[in-house]
Amino acid sequence: MAAGRHDSESRKSRESESHIEDVDMEEEEEPSFSDPEDFVDDVTDEELLHDILKKKPKPSDSVDSVIIVDCIPKAGKDRLEKLKNGNLRNWLLNKECYDQFSVIYNEGEKTAIFLNTPEPTKVEERSCWTETYVRWSPQGTYLATFHQKGIALWGGPKFSRIMKFGHQGVQLIDFSPCERYLVTFSPLQDSHDDPQAIIIWDIRSGIKKRGFHCESRSTWPIFKWNHNGDFFARIGEDTISIYETPSFGLKDKKSLKITAVRDFSWSPTDNIIAYWVPEQDNTPARVTLVEIPSRKELCVRNLFNVADCKMHWQKNGDHLCVKVDRYKAKKVENKDQIKYSGIYFNFELFRIREKQIPVDKVEEKEQVLAFAWEPVGNKFAYIHGEAPRISVTFYKIHPNGGKVELFKTLEKKAANHLFWSPNGQFIVLAGLRSMNGVLEFVDTQDMTIMNQTEHFMATDVEWDPTGRYVVSAVSWWGHKVDNGYWLWNFQGVPQHRQPLEKFCQLQWRPRPPSLLDESKIKEIRKNFKTWAQKFEMEDSTRKQTASKDLMDKRRMLMEDFQEYRARKEQEFAEQKKTRLDLRSGIDTDELHNQEDNFTEETIEFLVKVEEKIVEE
Amino acid sequence: MLHGHERSITQIKYNREGDLIFSCAKDPQPNVWYSLNGERLGTFVGHNGAVWCIDCSWDTTKVLTGAADNKCKLWDCETGKQLSSLETKTAVRTCGFSYSGNLIMYSTDKTMGFPCEIHIFDVRDGSQLQTGNPMSRVPIEAPMSKITSAIWGPNEEYILTGHEAGDLNQFDLKGNWIKGCKDHGGQINDIQAYKDYSMFITASSDTSARLFDMETFEPLKMFKTERPVNSAAISPLHEHVVLGGGQDARDVTTTSTRIGKFDARFYHLVFEEEFGRVKGHFGPINSIAFHPDGLSYSSGGEDGYVRVHYFDQNYLDFTFDY
Repeated sequence: MAAGRHDSESRKSRESESHIEDVDMEEEEEPSFSDPEDFVDDVTDEELLHDILKKKPKPSDSVDSVIIVDCIPKAGKDRLEKLKNGNLRNWLLNKECYDQFSVIYNEGEKTAIFLNTPEPTKVEERSCWTETYVRWSPQGTYLATFHQKGIALWGGPKFSRIMKFGHQGVQLIDFSPCERYLVTFSPLQDSHDDPQAIIIWDIRSGIKKRGFHCESRSTWPIFKWNHNGDFFARIGEDTISIYETPSFGLKDKKSLKITAVRDFSWSPTDNIIAYWVPEQDNTPARVTLVEIPSRKELCVRNLFNVADCKMHWQKNGDHLCVKVDRYKAKKVENKDQIKYSGIYFNFELFRIREKQIPVDKVEEKEQVLAFAWEPVGNKFAYIHGEAPRISVTFYKIHPNGGKVELFKTLEKKAANHLFWSPNGQFIVLAGLRSMNGVLEFVDTQDMTIMNQTEHFMATDVEWDPTGRYVVSAVSWWGHKVDNGYWLWNFQGVPQHRQPLEKFCQLQWRPRPPSLLDESKIKEIRKNFKTWAQKFEMEDSTRKQTASKDLMDKRRMLMEDFQEYRARKEQEFAEQKKTRLDLRSGIDTDELHNQEDNFTEETIEFLVKVEEKIVEE
Repeated sequence: MLHGHERSITQIKYNREGDLIFSCAKDPQPNVWYSLNGERLGTFVGHNGAVWCIDCSWDTTKVLTGAADNKCKLWDCETGKQLSSLETKTAVRTCGFSYSGNLIMYSTDKTMGFPCEIHIFDVRDGSQLQTGNPMSRVPIEAPMSKITSAIWGPNEEYILTGHEAGDLNQFDLKGNWIKGCKDHGGQINDIQAYKDYSMFITASSDTSARLFDMETFEPLKMFKTERPVNSAAISPLHEHVVLGGGQDARDVTTTSTRIGKFDARFYHLVFEEEFGRVKGHFGPINSIAFHPDGLSYSSGGEDGYVRVHYFDQNYLDFTFDY
C-alpha cells in the first residue's frame, strides 16, 4: 500500500497513517479474540474511555492532522507482483561492503551493473537499457535511464522499474539530495501557458509537482537544491528565486533582489547561499553569504579588480573558497566587450563555522587550472602554471586559529585534474586526455608519492564512494581505441584491467550517509587494530580460495590437454611409416638424430672492432 | 637484428634444422641468413615485385617464393639459382612444399576479374613445371572468400587454407573440399602447424589467435589481444605460443609506437594466459617463427627488420604453477 512506504515523509503524517498499517498487520495469524456474533456491548464509551474522549479531535482542529485517502488504486494480482520492488537499499546489505558500479559499453548498446569484489562480478546486464547514458541518484537508491519519451528509475534487488516520468525529448536531469524529487529538462514541448521545459516530479508518486520555463541559457543544473531538499533556487536577472518544498511555491512570495548577481551556490550542509556580484560603476565586486530563510546577511566581502569568481564549497561545509580572477588593466572594446590583461588569482577563504566568518586570502600569480578542497579535512590543492612547467600546490588551514599555511608544492607535474578521495587524505593527480593519462597517487598526510603511473589516454577518473578504490577509464566518447577501465586501490596498486569494446561510461553507485554517529566512528578508530586483524584474515582467506580456484582450473585444463596430446602422439607414432616413405626413409621426427647428415661448418662471429692507427 | 630488406617483411621461416632463416619482404629480393650469427648467406634475385611468401623444402635443397609480379619461383637453395618460374594471372599470396618436398602448392589473389586459385604441382614431373600446367587446380568461388594464408596438412594429404572472411577449409589434392569452419571474425593472416602437424595456430585480424585440431578443426584454445594478430607460432619446446601483430599498417603513421602495441606477446598454450612481452619493432610484426629447437625465435616487422631473439634463462626456467 502506498502509504506504508512514506518512511521519511514528515513525522506528522506518519503518525496519522499508523492505523492503515495496522490493517495490514491483521493478515498475520493470531488466536481469535473476537466476540460471538450476537454479543451486544452494554458499556458506553463515556464510561470506558472517559479520559481519552476528552482528547477526541473536533472538526475545528487543524486540518493538518487529517489525511484523506481517496481513490486508492486497486491492483490486480499480476500487477501486485510487479509493484513489490523489494528493499530499495538491498545493495547495502552486502556483507563485505563491496560497491557496485554501472558500465555502459558497446557504443551505449549495453549497460551492466558490476560488483567490485574486487575482481568485477556482473550483477545485471541489459541491452538497450538506456538511449543515451545513466545516472545514479545521490544516495544510490535509483538508477535513471534516458529515453526519448522520458526517464525511468530502476532499483531494488533485481533492478525492477520503480517509476517512469514522461517528458518527451528529456536531455538533463537532477535529483534533490534527499531523493524525493527529480528535475527533468527537455528543449521540446514548452508552451507559453503551460511551462514544460523543466519539470519537477515527486519520485515516489510519480506526480508532476511543478513545471517551469527555461528562458536563460545558464548551466545545468538550473535549479540548485539546498542540502536536504527543503529549498531549491535559480538565478534570474538581478534576482535569486528560492522555492520551498513540498508546496513548490516561491518562498515568502518574492525573490531575492540582487542587482547584477552573477552566480550563487548553496552550502552542502547548511541553509546558506553564497553569491557574487561584479563591480558596477563605483561599487566594488562583492561576495555575500545569506542565511535562508531568514535572508540575513552573514558576511559581505568586497573585492577589487575582479574579472571572474568561482565558488568552491568544502564537502563538510566548513570552508568556502572563492577563486577570484583579478586583472591589472581593463579595456572596454567595441560592443561592451571587456578585455582584461595581467590576470592573477586570489583565493578568498571563508571559515564558515567561526564567529563573523573570518576570511583569509592566498595569492597566486600563475594561471590556475584546477582547484579542489579535501572533502573531509582542512587542505586544498590547486594546479597552476603553464605547460610544461605545471605545479600542484597544497595549503592547510589550521583547525585552531585558522592560520592558512603553504603545505607543499609539487613541481613539474603532468596534471590537469585533481581527484580527492571522498574521505580525504589521498589524492590522485591526473593528466587526462591531452596529457596521455598520467596518474599520480599522493598521500597528503606526509606528501609521499605512493605511485606514479599511467593509463594511456585515460579520459576519466572515479573514486568509489568509500575511498578504497579508484577507476581510470578510456571512454569511447573521448577516445576511439583501447577503451576500457582499470581498477586501482587508493595507494595506486593496480587491481584489475578490463578492456571493453566501445566502453563509454563507468559510474560508482553512491552510498547514503553513514548511520554511525561520531562517537561510534571514534570507537571504531580506537579499536582499529582489532578490526584490521579481522579484515586481514578475511583477505588472506579470500586470496587463498582465489588462488586455489585458479590452480584447480589450471590443473583441469592441463589434464584435459595432456589427455588430448597423448591421443595425438599415439596417432603420430602410428603414421611413422607414411612419413618415412615420404622422405625416402630418412627419419626426421627428432631434430638431431641423423648424425650422418651432419656436415662441419665454420662460422665466423664478429666479436669486436678495434681501430689501430698504423704509424707511417 | 638482420638488416637486409628495404621494405616491410612479409614472411620469415626457419629451415627444418633451424640453421637458416628465410625472409621475404615487399622488396623483390628474398634473403637467406645464418640464424646463429645473423650473417646473410645469400639473396634470390629474379622477382619484380613484393614477395608475399617463402618456403623451404625439408632437406633445405629448394626454396619456393611467390610474389606480386604474378610469379611463383622455385630456387636451388645452395646456389641461389632459379630452377623454374611459374606464371600466374594474379599475385601469389601463399606457397609451400609438401612433407616429401615432391609437391608444391601456391594460391593466387582474387583481383582484376580472376578468381583466387590453388595450384598443385609435382616437382618430379618436369613437364608440369615447364608448361605451367598444374597437377590440380582449385578455384575458390563465392561465397567463399579469397585465401589469405595456407599450409600443407600432415603427410601431404590435404591443404589447409585460411580466408579473408575468417573461415578455414581443407581441400584434398584433387581439389575436393573436405571440411570447413568459421570461428574467426576477421581475416586469417597466418597459419602455422605444431611440429607434429596434429594442431595448428591461426592469427586473425579479429585480434585473436586460435589453436585448432588439424584433422577435425575442433577449436582447442583462444588467445586474445587488443590488436590485429598478423602471425602466431607454437613453441616446439614448451607449452607456449607467441603472437605478433599491432595496429593496421595503414593506421600506423598516425599512431605512436606505444599505442600501436607492436610487442611480441607470449601466452601459455594450455591456460591461455599471457606471461610476457618483447618490445623491439617500430611497426607491427608481420611474421613470427620459433627456432625448431625452441631456444630462440625471430620476428619480421613492418619496419623492415628481422629480429632474432635468444631466450634468457628466466624464460627457460619459467613455469606456471598448477
